Amino acid sequence: MLSVVAGFQSPDGGSVLFDGNDITKMPEYKRAEFIGVVFQDPLSGTAKSLSIEENMAIAAKRGSKRWFRMGVTAKRRAFFKGHLEQLGLGLEKRLKTNAGLLSGGQRQSLTLLMAAMANPQILLLDEHTAALDPRTAGLVMGLTDKIIKDLGLTAMMVTHNMKQALDYGNRIIMMHEGSVILDIKGKEKEGLTIPDLLDMFEKVRGEGLVDDKLLLSK
Amino acid sequence: MSYFAFLGAIEHGLVFSLMAIGVFLTFRALDFPDLSVDGSLPLGAAVSALLITKGVDPYLSVAAATLAGFGAGAITALLNTKLKILNLLAGILTMIGLYSINLRVMGMPNIPLLGYETVFTPIEAMGISPQVAAIGLFAVFALVICVFLVWFFHTDIGLALRATGDNMKMVKAQGVNTDRMIFFGVALSNGFVAMSGALVAQSLGFADVNMGIGTVVAGLASVIVGEAVLSSSTVLKAVIGVVIGSMIYRLAVAFALSVELGPIKLSPGDLNLITAIIVVIALTFPGIRKKLGGAK
Repeated sequence: MLSVVAGFQSPDGGSVLFDGNDITKMPEYKRAEFIGVVFQDPLSGTAKSLSIEENMAIAAKRGSKRWFRMGVTAKRRAFFKGHLEQLGLGLEKRLKTNAGLLSGGQRQSLTLLMAAMANPQILLLDEHTAALDPRTAGLVMGLTDKIIKDLGLTAMMVTHNMKQALDYGNRIIMMHEGSVILDIKGKEKEGLTIPDLLDMFEKVRGEGLVDDKLLLSK
Repeated sequence: MSYFAFLGAIEHGLVFSLMAIGVFLTFRALDFPDLSVDGSLPLGAAVSALLITKGVDPYLSVAAATLAGFGAGAITALLNTKLKILNLLAGILTMIGLYSINLRVMGMPNIPLLGYETVFTPIEAMGISPQVAAIGLFAVFALVICVFLVWFFHTDIGLALRATGDNMKMVKAQGVNTDRMIFFGVALSNGFVAMSGALVAQSLGFADVNMGIGTVVAGLASVIVGEAVLSSSTVLKAVIGVVIGSMIYRLAVAFALSVELGPIKLSPGDLNLITAIIVVIALTFPGIRKKLGGAK
C-alpha cells in the first residue's frame, strides 16, 4: 500500500487520491513534491559517495527546478547545520563527510531529516526502524515523532511492531494478504493494548481461514 | 623511448583526456556504461574536418563537433530512457548507426586536412613549434573542461546527476527526474568525446571513419589508471586523476611500442591488445596491492 502511495508500484485497480486529485498515474519523482519517504534499508535513503551537506542540498531542492546554481551555499550550509543540530548526533561538525561513512542509525536519521525538508505534506515511513538495533530504533522513532509534531505532518508508517503502532499512531490500519482487515481510529483506539490487537486480528483472520477450509474440504 | 616520442605521448594524453573525461562522466559519475563514444569520437572528427574543408573557422568547427556529439549522446540516452533499451545495447546501437552517419558526413572514408587552416595555425604563426603549440592548446582545453566539470558537479543539477549514478531509489524519492539526468549526462559526455575527436583529427591532419575503434577501452583505461594513482575521494581529485591517467596510459602505450623483445617488435596494430592488457592490469592492481599488504 505504501509503495502504491509513493508511486514505486502502480496499483492493479483503484486509484490514489491526494487532496482530492487523482495521482494514480503521476510518476514517483513528481509525487516527491508533497511526499517524503524513509525506506527500511538505511542505505537507500542517502547517496553514499556524496557528503552529508550535498545529500541535504538534493533534498532541499525537492519539488523545485534544479539548474546551475551551486548546490551548497554558505546560507544553505548554515540552514543544514541548524537542522543537523536537532539530531544531537554531532553530524553538524561533519558536513563534508561522505554519507557512506555513517552508521545505519546516523544515515537513517539523516534520511528522516531530508524527507522532512522542503515542506512535504505526507511522510511515508516504510518500517524505517526495522533494520536498526533497539536503542537506535528508539532514538530514530523519538526523532520521527518530534519532526511530525513540530511540522504538523501527516505520516503513514508501516510497522510490524505493534507497540510502536499503539504508542505513536492515532489511526491503526491492519493489513492481511493485501487487504485492510482492521481500521481503528479516534476513541476506539485509546486504551487499546497489544493483546487486544492480537485478539482482533485472530478473530478477523480466523473467520477467513475457516471459510477457506470449508471451501477446500468439499 | 625518445624525447620526441615522450612529447608525443603527452600530447596524445592531453587531447584524449577530454574523451576520458567523457567516459568518466558516464561510467563513473552516472554509472551508465556508454559505448556510443566509439562512434562519437570519429563523428567529432568528421564534422570538424568537413567544416574546415568548407572554409569554416577551425574553432567554430570544434564547437559544431561538440554539438554533434551532444546529439549522438542524446540519442543513446533516449533509446535507454524512453524506449527502455538496455544501456549497453543503446550505446552499441548508436555506435553502429554513427559509423554510417560518419561516412555520410565525410562522403568518403577519410578527409585529409593537410594545407588547411587548423586550430594550431594562429599559434604556430607566432613562431611556436607545432608540438609545443599542440601540447599548450590541449592543456588549455583540458584545464577548461576540468574547471567546468568540477563546477558542474557542485551545482544542483550536477549533484542530482552524481546521486543518480549512486542511488537511483534515493534521487527519485527526492524528486529528481532520473531520465533527465541520464539525458544530460550521456549527451554531455559524448559532447566532450566529439570535441576530443575534432582536436585529434586536426592534430593528426586527417579524419578517418575507423579512428574511433577502441575509444571506450582507452578511456576506461585512463579512468582506472587515474584512480589507481590518485584516490577519487573528491570530484576535483577524480577529474584531475582522469587527465593524469590519460597521460600515463599514452606513455605506457608509447613505451610498450618502443620495446623490442628479441625478434618480437610491437607495431601500432597491436595497440588494442596492449590497451586490453593495461586495463586488466589496472583493474587488478588494487587487489594486488592489497595482497602485498599495502595501504587501502
